[in-house]
Amino acid sequence: MAKGRELKGRIKSVENTRKITRTMEMVATSKMKRAQDRVTAARPYAQALTDVISSLYSPELAEQFPLLRQPAKIKRAAVIALTANRGLAGAFNANLIKEARAIIARLEGEGTAVDLHIVGKKGLGYFRYVGRTVVTSRIDISDRPTAENAAELVNDLTDAFARGEIDAVYVVYPAFQSVLSAPPTAVQVLPVKPPATGARQRDYILAPDAQTILGELLPLYVRNAVYRALVEMTAAFYAAQRTAMKNATDNASDMLKILGRTYNRARQATITQEIAEIVGGAAALQG
Amino acid sequence: MLKVSVISPEAVLYEGDTDSVVAPAFDGEVGILTGHAPMMTLLGKGVLRLGGGSQRFSVEGGFLQVVDNTVRVVTEKASAA
Repeated sequence: MAKGRELKGRIKSVENTRKITRTMEMVATSKMKRAQDRVTAARPYAQALTDVISSLYSPELAEQFPLLRQPAKIKRAAVIALTANRGLAGAFNANLIKEARAIIARLEGEGTAVDLHIVGKKGLGYFRYVGRTVVTSRIDISDRPTAENAAELVNDLTDAFARGEIDAVYVVYPAFQSVLSAPPTAVQVLPVKPPATGARQRDYILAPDAQTILGELLPLYVRNAVYRALVEMTAAFYAAQRTAMKNATDNASDMLKILGRTYNRARQATITQEIAEIVGGAAALQG
Repeated sequence: MLKVSVISPEAVLYEGDTDSVVAPAFDGEVGILTGHAPMMTLLGKGVLRLGGGSQRFSVEGGFLQVVDNTVRVVTEKASAA
């Protein structure tokens, strides 16, 4: 019965693994729901900002704002790559890293120097491993990213852009479309792509004036783009983790089925053999 | 009546009807009653009061927009006070 005992041990261990993956699946589900709510809650603000900027924006004003400067040639760009701090979420981090590498390769192919900024332990670990210089990194952003987190990430870059030290800023993040779909995406946050101009429908009283308001709001717009990327990253991470843990639980169940069958077969074989031995022994005694 | 919403990046903090809004604009307080002309103004730092102080929020930066008796206060830093 040596084989049987060995199988029993394996069954126990797979059962334990399944218990863990099932718990992680449930935890990820509830965290994902909360993160999803935050994605939804972030929408009115973004909508309000976009509305106002597009109603104030006019192409004549564009030249006055450093953040709207569209450089003819991008000499130096910053890439902010968002990744999670933790793994066990399938190919989530790997896909983000792949997207980040793709955009870095594209920019460098065009002769642009790329400054890499990283959020998340997983991305930092990878880029350190391949020996790439990481300009700044943040691994302390929690499951509940705040607007301040976004400001800390992008304010220095906004200033550098305004001074003309860098010509573009990209953010790589998973665009959370639904629980099942969050494709890694690289979005350009600077220079600000002016929203389609909704013709100024109304004669607003503007205080102080359109230029000043626009000048104040553009940095908010940039920060908000980064904030939304952070929030969507959290939601997408838990969605990916939930899927990964659900698959792991299902696989463990399949494995248990096969192991159980093998175990029972081995047990039956032993019993059959024992009976055969007893019958054989009895027959020998009678004979 | 004025329809008021106070919006921060994280959430919509308040949404409801009130009869007056006093907001800390960049150059001093601004009061809004029903029938105000369309207006857009930057906000400074201070306390936003709705309905004569029944609801208070401390805000910093952002802007306030009035259109058709609808007031939107959009600010990065806002908290109930």
